[in-house]
Amino acid sequence: MAELTTTKLNAESHLLLDQPLLRMPYELSRRNFKNAQRVIEHHSANMASSLGAATKAASKASSPDATLESLDSMISKMQGLKRKLEGLHEEEMRIHKSAKARIQHLQDLYEVRSLVDVKYDEWSRTRLSRLLVDYLLREGYSESAAHLAQSKGIAELVDVDAFVACHKIERSLREGMSTSPALEWCKEHSKELKKSGSMLEFELKLQQYIELVRQGHEAGMSGGMDGIESDGMNGVSIGGGGGETKLAEARAHAKKHLSASGDHELLGRAAGLLAFRPWDEIEPYASLYSPSRWNHLATLFLSTHHSLYSLPPRPLLHIALSAGLSALKTPACHSAYTSSSANASSTTTTVCPICSTELNELARNVPYALHTKSIVENDPVVLPNGRIYGSERLEAFNKKVGTESGWVRDPVGGLKGDIWRESEARKVYIL
Amino acid sequence: MDDLREQVELLESSANLSTSISDVQKAIDQLTAARAKIAAGAQTALTLAKLQDPFKKTLDAAQKDLKPIYSGLNKYGKVLDRKFKDKPLPSAENDALSSHPSLINRAIAMHLLREGQFSVASTFIAEANRRPPHPEPTANTPNPYLKESWERDLAEGTFNSEKLQRQFADMYHILHELRNERNLEPAIQWAKERSDELEARGSNLEFELCRLQYVRLFVDRRDDDDYMDERPDGPLHAYQYAVQEFGVFSKRYAHEVQELMCALAYWQNIEQSPYRRIFYNDSGWEEVAHSFNREFCSLLGLSADSPLFIAATAGAIALPYLLKMQSIMKEKRTEWTTQDELPVEIPLPTPYHFHSIFVCPVSKEQTTDANPPMMMPCGHVIASESLAKLSKGARFKCPYCPNESHPRDAKKVVL
Repeated sequence: MAELTTTKLNAESHLLLDQPLLRMPYELSRRNFKNAQRVIEHHSANMASSLGAATKAASKASSPDATLESLDSMISKMQGLKRKLEGLHEEEMRIHKSAKARIQHLQDLYEVRSLVDVKYDEWSRTRLSRLLVDYLLREGYSESAAHLAQSKGIAELVDVDAFVACHKIERSLREGMSTSPALEWCKEHSKELKKSGSMLEFELKLQQYIELVRQGHEAGMSGGMDGIESDGMNGVSIGGGGGETKLAEARAHAKKHLSASGDHELLGRAAGLLAFRPWDEIEPYASLYSPSRWNHLATLFLSTHHSLYSLPPRPLLHIALSAGLSALKTPACHSAYTSSSANASSTTTTVCPICSTELNELARNVPYALHTKSIVENDPVVLPNGRIYGSERLEAFNKKVGTESGWVRDPVGGLKGDIWRESEARKVYIL
Repeated sequence: MDDLREQVELLESSANLSTSISDVQKAIDQLTAARAKIAAGAQTALTLAKLQDPFKKTLDAAQKDLKPIYSGLNKYGKVLDRKFKDKPLPSAENDALSSHPSLINRAIAMHLLREGQFSVASTFIAEANRRPPHPEPTANTPNPYLKESWERDLAEGTFNSEKLQRQFADMYHILHELRNERNLEPAIQWAKERSDELEARGSNLEFELCRLQYVRLFVDRRDDDDYMDERPDGPLHAYQYAVQEFGVFSKRYAHEVQELMCALAYWQNIEQSPYRRIFYNDSGWEEVAHSFNREFCSLLGLSADSPLFIAATAGAIALPYLLKMQSIMKEKRTEWTTQDELPVEIPLPTPYHFHSIFVCPVSKEQTTDANPPMMMPCGHVIASESLAKLSKGARFKCPYCPNESHPRDAKKVVL
C-alpha cells in the first residue's frame, strides 16, 4: 500500500537540519585547541628566554637575590599558564560532553522506524525546542533562549554562550558604533578569515579610517567656526589644529591597513573623504559617511561569523517552517468558505494547523502543496447545500447532537445548522 | 553515527589537554626545586645551567602533547565532513518568513503558552517587546517595511494582551486538576459555563465529565479500609449526585443515564456486572482530559496540537524532497512556473492531512475558490473550469458515465 512508504522514516535524509548541531561543537573545540596551542607556545618561548637571561645574569652577579626573584616571577607565570590551560581543559571537556549528548540525540532518531511512531513525536518535539532556541538566539532574545533551553532540559543541545558572544559584538557595531570588539574577534580568527577571503577586517579598518576623517573634519570645522567669529574668514579651510592631526592620523592608518586591499576604486573613494566633509552630502562620499554603514558592518559580521561556524544564514526554524507551511497548506486554508472537512465548529473535525490563528497569516505567502490525487473521506455524501461529508462522520455527528432518526443536520452549522431528511443526502462520486 | 561517537570519546578520554597540563606542572616543579636549592645556598649559576636543559625538554613535551589533540580533531572533522557530504546546509532560498518576524514571534509566543511554558513565554514577550525584530525582504515580500496594518495589529494584538495567557493558564489549571489530582470540579464548572457552545458543536464533554464524576463517587468506597462494610456509601453518593445533576441530560443521553442508574442494582458486585466496562475503564481519565484539551482549543478557534510543532515536523519531512527538487531544477536550469503551488508532491503521513483535497480528474488541478469543484446531476465531480471547457455552454456527456446534463444543472460543492 502507498501509505506504508510514506510513513517510513529515513533517518539519514532526515538529518538535513541537524548539521549545525554537530558542526558547532567541532568548531568550538578547534577554537579551544588553538587557544591552548597559542598560550603554550607563547609561554614556552617566553620562559626559555627568561631562564636564559637569568642564567646569564646569575653568572655575573654574586648575590642570589636577583635570581630568586626572576625564578619567582617565572613560577608565577607558569602557574598562570597552568590555570589558563585548566580553564581551557574544562571548556574542552564541556564541549565534548555536549557533542556526545548531541550525537546520542541524533542516534535516537535512527532507532525510530516510522513517522507516526510516538517516539518520533517526542524526538520531533525536542527538535522543535532546539529550533526555537536557535531562532531566539539568532534574533538576540538570549534571555528567553536560555530560559527555554533550561526548562526543556536541552542545554547541551544548544549553543547559548556562543551566540551570546556573537550578539555582543553585533550590538557593539549596530548600536555602540564601536569597531574594537569586532576587530578583536577578527584577530582571534585571523587564519580562518584569511583562508575564506573575508572582507570583514578590511571593512572594519575602513570604518576606523572614516571615523578618524570625520573627527578631523569636525574638529576642523569648529576651528573654522572660531575663525569666522574672529576675523571673518569663511569656514572652508580645515586649518584647525586638532583637525589636521586627526586627518594625518587617518592617512597613516589608511597607509598601514587599507593600501594592501587592491580595490582601487574603493580606495579612491576613501581618499576623497579627505577632501569632502560629512555634511557636504556629495556622492559617492556621503554613503561612506552614512551611519547605515554600521548596520552593514553588523550584518557582514553576522554572516562572516555564521559561515565560519558552519551555521546557515537564516534561522533553521524559518527553513523548517517554510517547508512545513507549504507541505501542509491547501487551497482551502485561505478560502472564503468554511471547509467541510476541517473546521472548528464541530467535535468531529479538528482545526487544520495552517487555518489556526498562529500560522494562518504566515502561510498566506507560501505556495500550497501539490497533490495529484484527491484525498477524501470514504463513502462521501453531499447535502442539499453542497457540502460533502464522509457518511461515517456525518452519522457520528448526528448521533452526538441527538438528531431525530431519519434526519441529518449539517455539522458546520452546529445545533442550529440546516436539517434535511436523510433521503436528501446523496451519494457523490469523487474520482 | 557510531564513528562520530568513537572520535569524540577518543578526544574525551585521551586526546585532551590534561597531559599538557601535567607537563606544565612538571616544569613548575623543576623551577621550584631549583629555587629551593638556590635559596639553600647552592651555586646559582650552576643550578640554573643544570636546569636549562630539562626545563626546555618539559616545555617541548607540553607542546608535543598537543599533537594527538590536533590529529584527533582533524579526524573528527573528516568524519563529520563525510557524514554530511551529501547533506548540504539548507539555503535561504525557500525562506518566506524573514519578512514577517513579528508573526513568527507571535506564533512562538502562542506555542509557548499552549505548551504551558508560561514563564518562558512571559520572558519572551517582554524581550520581544523591548527589541522588536527587523523584517528582511524575501522573494514574495520584497519590501517588508511597508507592513500592512492588519499584520501589525495582529502581531501586536497578541503581544500586548494577557488574555490568551490567562485562557491557557486556565486550561492548564483544569488539566492539572484532572490528570494529577483526579479533581473534576474545575472541568465541570468550565463545561457548564459553555454548555450551549459545546452542545452546538455536538460535544459530549459535559456529560462525559459528569459521568466520570458519578463513577468516581460510585467506586469511592473501595479505597476505604472497611471494604466489607455493607453500607453502600459510594453508590449512595453517586445516586444523590445523579438525582441532582443528570436531569439536564435525560433527553439526549437517556440510554447512558439508564445504564448508570441500573448499575446501582449491582453495587455489591459491579466487577461481575454487565456495567463493568463503565466503572473499570482506566483510560477514561486520559480520554476525558484529551477531549477537554481539544474542545478548549477549538472554542478558541485553534487546533488541538501546536501548529508550530506540526508545521516544523512536516517541514523536516518535506525538506529532503524540496532540496532534491531544487538541485534538479538547478541542473536543468528551469524554474517552476506555478508560483502558488509546490512543484513536487510531498508524501506526508495521514495524520498530517487535515482538509479533504479535490484534484479535478480532468485537468489534474486542485480546485480553488476561483475554480471550485462542481457536481453534475449524475454525482460525478469535476472542476468548474473543466466543466466550462467540456460543455462549452451546451449539454454535454459526463466524462465518467453515460449521463448527459446541462452545465447550469451542475452544482458547486464544498469539501
